[in-house]
Amino acid sequence: MTKVIEARGLKKSYHQTHALEDVSFTVEPGRIVGLIGPNGAGKTTALKAILGLTRFDGELRVLGLDPRSQRDELMRNVSFIADVAVLPGWLRVGQALELVAGVHPRFNEARAAQFLRRTDIRMRSRVRELSKGMVTQLHLALILAIDARLLVLDEPTLGLDLLYRRQFYDALLNDYFNEERTILVTTHQVEEVENLFTDVIFINHGRVVLDSSVEKLAERYVQITVAPDKVAQARALHPFYEREVFGRVVMIFDRQANLLEADPGQAAVELAPLGETRTPSIADLFVAKMEAA
Amino acid sequence: MSTPSPSAVVSRPAESGLRAWLAGNPHLRMFETLVRREFWEHRSLWRGPLVVSVLLLVCAVITHGALKIDAAEPTEWLNPQSKAIVFALAQWALTVPHYLVMTLLLSFYLLDCLYAERKDRSILFWKSLPVSDGATVASKVAVACVVVPLGTFALALVTDILFTAIWDLRAVIGHSPELLVWDTVAFLKTQALMFLGLVVSVLWYSPFLGCFLLASACVRRNVVMWVTVVPLLLVIFERIAFGTHWLSSLVNYRTYGIWYDLHLESAVLGSIHNVGPAEVVSLPEVFDRVHVGPAFTNIDLWLGLVFAAACAYAAARVRGFRDET
Repeated sequence: MTKVIEARGLKKSYHQTHALEDVSFTVEPGRIVGLIGPNGAGKTTALKAILGLTRFDGELRVLGLDPRSQRDELMRNVSFIADVAVLPGWLRVGQALELVAGVHPRFNEARAAQFLRRTDIRMRSRVRELSKGMVTQLHLALILAIDARLLVLDEPTLGLDLLYRRQFYDALLNDYFNEERTILVTTHQVEEVENLFTDVIFINHGRVVLDSSVEKLAERYVQITVAPDKVAQARALHPFYEREVFGRVVMIFDRQANLLEADPGQAAVELAPLGETRTPSIADLFVAKMEAA
Repeated sequence: MSTPSPSAVVSRPAESGLRAWLAGNPHLRMFETLVRREFWEHRSLWRGPLVVSVLLLVCAVITHGALKIDAAEPTEWLNPQSKAIVFALAQWALTVPHYLVMTLLLSFYLLDCLYAERKDRSILFWKSLPVSDGATVASKVAVACVVVPLGTFALALVTDILFTAIWDLRAVIGHSPELLVWDTVAFLKTQALMFLGLVVSVLWYSPFLGCFLLASACVRRNVVMWVTVVPLLLVIFERIAFGTHWLSSLVNYRTYGIWYDLHLESAVLGSIHNVGPAEVVSLPEVFDRVHVGPAFTNIDLWLGLVFAAACAYAAARVRGFRDET
């Protein structure tokens, strides 16, 4: 099956600052990819490049198309929610459905209407009269009714309360996602959605710091809450990150970077006696990667 | 009382022929949707002309018909020969407010249409739809150059007829003197003159429209200032720096030039008649006297159109290339 996104050597700079420096990654179909990075890391620039909203250097194919020259064609198979505030205030809910139905060949108006019936949103309301959460619900209703192959979400739940955030991701998983579809998400609230991801790409200072499936992460990284008397012994094995939590030292090891990689059996033998081992959460790993850099 | 059949309840209202045809043609359907979208956002485009019509019709109902021309009673100037002239003049006078309002509305519309979507950040939503920048700009050009002018003409025409009907009705019931007497030839010729003026205006003034559209796509703020103060400063600068008037004569020419080609001035001067004690222009005669040929063979008319098209193309490119953050 063809790749959904193939990026090679993406470069983009605004004036003096480099937003993207030689970014390469691929995204396979049927994945939910988290694009994670601190503010100003280049996430949004990368998304904008994928959506044909900005110029850049390098090679990029999205669903086999060049977003720079084939944006309108690409948008038949790509949906995106860039930010909650982008639906125009003057638009009525009914008009929004009529509009997307008129211009989008893969939009199912009945499906969007059905989704809206589950909410408190009325067809006559204007977007400016809706609460922030309702605007997101409306946008999601429009997006979920589009039979797109790639869905791009840029901080889709920013500024929403927990209830709306949970509903948003539930709707995404239950009503939308399947093995032919791919979802690319950027978010700050990593803890909340990390169970969603099948893949993660960490990006920092315009570079890809980590690109892995979640399964591989579990094979590669191990977190140990080190027993107090074993700290020196553990440090000798070169953890790439360590911090203290409630007086206990937590270390994260990269099996690929350590000698441990050569023999996973040996890893278990060497690490297990040092303390309590487990797979680090994506949030922990993210913090570790950013601080180690 | 009969109950509706189940199928009537379930099925949507029967789609008109146009809708059905559009549904079978995705490109046309998209374009029609984009055009309707413009009227959703810019409600003044249809509300303004409607308000003008309603005001004119209210005037027809409430104004007292004792109109006087140079102190002459209607009976003095409303002889059979001048009836058509007065009738035509009224048609013209009723259309002028529509055209003035349209000019204002279209100017502000074009200045706003590509600017508002950046201001309210909805451009990211519009760009998430499979609509090219070219189609977006084309829909706005179609609204400004075709849909609104034709709609305004049609609305003005209907208003003219209704206004005359109301006034004639009042004359029949003896409420006011007979001022407007229907004259089919005068009506058709006056409306044809109005339509000609409209078509020529849209074509000749298209460079202005193009500039407005391009300003709307490019400017970050104060769009109105960019198309008023900045050109004025340029004219003054040219005068001081080079001592020339090239820019102001160009604007002057693009404002009046085509009306000389139509021989409008001589047509008007040659169509003046005495109506009672006053001198009044006979518009049906003006229509007979204007020279349509020279206006449409003036290469500047078409060059202006090419310039406007280039502006629209540039506006689409700017919209496509611009980085929205």
